[in-house]
Amino acid sequence: MKHPLLTRAAQGIAAMLLLMAAAMKFLGDPGSVEVFMRLGMDPAGRYLIAAIELMAAMLLLSPFAALGSVIATGVMCGAIIAHVTQLGLVVNDDGGRLFGMLVVVLVCVGYVLISRRKEIPLIGNTL
Amino acid sequence: MTSTFAVDLEKTSRTANVGIVLLFLLFGAAGIRYSFYFHFFTVAFFFLILLNLHWRYGQRTHTLLANFGFLAQTRYIVESIGPEFRQYLFASDTEERPFSRVERAEVYRKAKGIDSSEAFGTLLDFGDKELKLRHSFYPADKDDLDAFDVAVGAARGLDTTYHVRRPIMISAMSYGALGQNAVRSLARGAKLAGTVMNTGEGGYPKYHLMEGCDLTFQMGTAKFGVRTEDGHLDESKLAALAALDQIKMVEIKLSQGAKPGKGGLLPKEKVTDEIAELRGVRLGHDVISPAHHVECTCAASTVEFIGRIQQVSGLPTGIKFCLGRPDELRAMVQEMGRQDTFPDFITVDGGEGGTGAAPKSFMDDLGLPLFTALPLVHRILQEEGARDRLVVFAAGKLVSPGRQLKALSLGADVAYSARGFLLALGCIQALQCNRNTCPVGITTHQAHLQRGLDIEDKAQRVANYVGALHHDHVELLAAMGTTSSHRLSEKNMYLPAQTTMPSPDKELS
Ligand SMILES: Cc1cc2nc3c(=O)[nH]c(=O)nc-3n(C[C@H](O)[C@H](O)[C@H](O)COP(=O)(O)O)c2cc1C
Repeated sequence: MKHPLLTRAAQGIAAMLLLMAAAMKFLGDPGSVEVFMRLGMDPAGRYLIAAIELMAAMLLLSPFAALGSVIATGVMCGAIIAHVTQLGLVVNDDGGRLFGMLVVVLVCVGYVLISRRKEIPLIGNTL
Repeated sequence: MTSTFAVDLEKTSRTANVGIVLLFLLFGAAGIRYSFYFHFFTVAFFFLILLNLHWRYGQRTHTLLANFGFLAQTRYIVESIGPEFRQYLFASDTEERPFSRVERAEVYRKAKGIDSSEAFGTLLDFGDKELKLRHSFYPADKDDLDAFDVAVGAARGLDTTYHVRRPIMISAMSYGALGQNAVRSLARGAKLAGTVMNTGEGGYPKYHLMEGCDLTFQMGTAKFGVRTEDGHLDESKLAALAALDQIKMVEIKLSQGAKPGKGGLLPKEKVTDEIAELRGVRLGHDVISPAHHVECTCAASTVEFIGRIQQVSGLPTGIKFCLGRPDELRAMVQEMGRQDTFPDFITVDGGEGGTGAAPKSFMDDLGLPLFTALPLVHRILQEEGARDRLVVFAAGKLVSPGRQLKALSLGADVAYSARGFLLALGCIQALQCNRNTCPVGITTHQAHLQRGLDIEDKAQRVANYVGALHHDHVELLAAMGTTSSHRLSEKNMYLPAQTTMPSPDKELS
């Protein structure tokens, strides 16, 4: 299906940021480790989330971008819950950078999700 | 009595719609209080709630979803995977349509060259309601049988008279309806098998010509490949095509069983750059052919047109139609007599015929079935003294040797099949020919789907299929005590007792 450049750009940006986030988690970046420690999910949860992010990023770059955007939106919602309930918006004095990234990704994948909603498997035709 | 298992959808869905909100809150709390992992469910239920809100209050097109919410969606999902489910799990061997598993399996086995003996007994109904072939107490010796030979054009004494030497030919399928690998596999298979292939109405038969097989050029109602700008015949183009060595016959398509009274249809999904060029049409639009040739508006003009094509092409030239009204056919045959212009062959396509794309009601409700039409055509030709002036081809689910011989007994000279050959190519009857998504790469132009269709391998299957059909044809003929298919007649058939249905065909003809 043909989609405007904007959708494709959003997919690209989101996929890139997700790949970066996944890489940091896999490589044990101290900031990520700290965050997941505070959530009580290190290291298993860190790897799990990284794997999901990786998968979502790859789907976003494939013909199954709609599915990728659903998964990515889910991860971002989870991250928002983490910030709101436990981490706070400013983590390790980053001035809200981490949260800001999150919002960027969420906006991108949310946009993809909405513009490609018809392609979501099984339920797309009712949206 | 209602079933004890009946579910009150209204009550259940109300509970469910509230339930997901409660579960969302519950998991959220558990995520905060106990372990962050619970939030996987929090998020899932959050999505479900959003979706549910959309279904219940946002959209207006799905009543069930608006009234009941997400539980109703399970019904849509189950319904959407139903056909596959039924085909894989529940459909019995004889109940699928258009072709049951029994019918398909026979073609697959013939194509793969696997022995086709069966054990214990027939899987088909065997009462007094089905057409049967009659065998003889005195089977013929197979060595005494005449080689299969139907001369097309002999009645006019043409130098270009074409001899059909296989009891089965490949019926019209265009490049467009089929992808290039499928066309080339069929063409190479036809060459191997020594049968003739019809190009279909797709214009200049570029891929059909590649493999060196004998071809019948079909001229559809849009005259793709031989048309002028305004849809009339471009004689020079037709003459040039007919001069090609490989082109042996010309078939003027008047109508087709799957959509009689309507022109060909190629959905825009399947119009590639190349097809647009070969047909001279625009990209991004459905290609819809006119319902009839502009030249053919009555019996006289149609017969004149046939004569003109015979003149221009110099080849055996026939017409293809699906029979509707026998009285119209009789009038046309009488007109042929008046003008002394007979087509060299007539292709009778049964209303049950296949297509790459057709409106549902045209497929389901229009046109006489082959086994009803053939005897009528045969009788009318005989009564009007035209039966010796032409040969009759027949198409309509003639995928097995038995059905082919029934067609020959009811008045045909050679059997034609389209879908039999698609099955030989590995068609799994996914019923997606109109969507460019054929999973076995036959009716699609997508390279990644055609990748799996190996031309060499599939050509061999096509050839095997023709060989096995010819073999069975001979066996059955011998069992029927006949030495040539030309001697078959209705006497070789068991025709079920008359139904109680009134037969308007009697009065009409
Ligand atoms: C994919 C496909 C494409 C077809 N294209 C044409 C066509 O271009 N012209 C035509 O006269 N018939 C066309 N037909 C009809 C067949 O030539 C044939 O008359 C009909 O399918 C009956 O034969 P069958 O039951 O063995 O398939 C097509 C059929 C199929 C399945």
